[in-house]
Amino acid sequence: MKVMNAATFTVEREDHTVGNVIRMQLHRDPSVLFAGYRLPHPLQYRLVVKIQTTSQSSPMQAYNLAITDLIKELDHLKAVFEHETSQKQADYY
Amino acid sequence: MAYGVDNSLRIEDFCKNLRVEIISMNEEDIEFDIVGIDAAIANAFRRILIAEVPTMAIEKVYIANNTSVIQDEVLAHRLGLLPIKADPRLFDYKSEEENANEKNTIVFKIDVVCTRKGERVLNSSVTSDQMKWLPEGSEMPFNTMTKFTSFGSSQKNLPGLPAEGISCQYPDIIVAKLRPGQAIELEGHAIKGSGNIHAKWSPVATARYRMLPEVNLMEDIQGKLAEELVQKCPTGVFDIEDVGTVKKAIVARPRNCTLCRECVRGTDWDKRVQLTRVKDHFIFTIESTGALRPEVLFTEAIKILNEKCHRIITELS
Repeated sequence: MKVMNAATFTVEREDHTVGNVIRMQLHRDPSVLFAGYRLPHPLQYRLVVKIQTTSQSSPMQAYNLAITDLIKELDHLKAVFEHETSQKQADYY
Repeated sequence: MAYGVDNSLRIEDFCKNLRVEIISMNEEDIEFDIVGIDAAIANAFRRILIAEVPTMAIEKVYIANNTSVIQDEVLAHRLGLLPIKADPRLFDYKSEEENANEKNTIVFKIDVVCTRKGERVLNSSVTSDQMKWLPEGSEMPFNTMTKFTSFGSSQKNLPGLPAEGISCQYPDIIVAKLRPGQAIELEGHAIKGSGNIHAKWSPVATARYRMLPEVNLMEDIQGKLAEELVQKCPTGVFDIEDVGTVKKAIVARPRNCTLCRECVRGTDWDKRVQLTRVKDHFIFTIESTGALRPEVLFTEAIKILNEKCHRIITELS
């Protein structure tokens, strides 16, 4: 039985650190019906991400969108943090 | 793309809600709050700080002479755990087959003999400040022609190096103890690695986060009950506010709450006080071992998460 708009991605050399973050980002996308990740075996360093979307988007699109959004958010977080630390150091001197 | 508009709104919302506040910051520790991120990202940062930010640590130990009671392998293990004050971003990774050169190896030497001088014993303990940095490379001969490392130039001229050179972060760590007549002569070669291979390469003593506790009073607590509540809390979360003639209890410092649940012990107290956690407010504490400053460590962690994202993005084929 084939399911429409569903895909399984296998990511090598990654673990919960990235897997949980991608899963969280995918859940925030309204076009994603199902998103989950698992590590098939704790001794093997790989990740499996399962995504199902509505017909308006495709799993590939959802995955790429989630990661590009995450990269933008991380850049913003880095900028805010560096601004705060430079302010705090300026307060000391 | 179908959802361009929606997602730029989402990113704008994130940027508006994100708040970072640094509570305290010094050479070794930093405590800061991040409001507006999710638990998955906070945990990702904690995991990266502990296991994926690289550092330098001694990996190979060449022992020329060890007449002390400490066995060779125990000594080598202890040397590996010493925190080295060197910025790992100035160095490259070294694989097994590569030659050790000035870009991927730091060489240290320990040459201590314990002697008796009249009544006194000199050098009865080998401390980490007796570990000398060799910026010119190894002095031990591999064979008649080469040494164990092939340094093209001296490491003294490496840009970004502190003025005092490279040393152990703390000078008073005891590596071994000797009695008169015993000696230790060895060279340690430090390379770049990350905590997921061996804990000696972890740059933090620890990195932890907790979520801000939320203490809610479900009903007005006045008079004797209010004083009882203030007494019960061991960390001083509650305070008395005088409203006219009535003493009311208020939540003054929810940040100090350790969720010990003393305030809900006893009859009926759990109906009056409600303890939860704020879902997106994280209080991070990072204690660095000294190779990098703690705020630099967090910035490196963000960079590493960024690199991971770039690596896993798929090309539409």
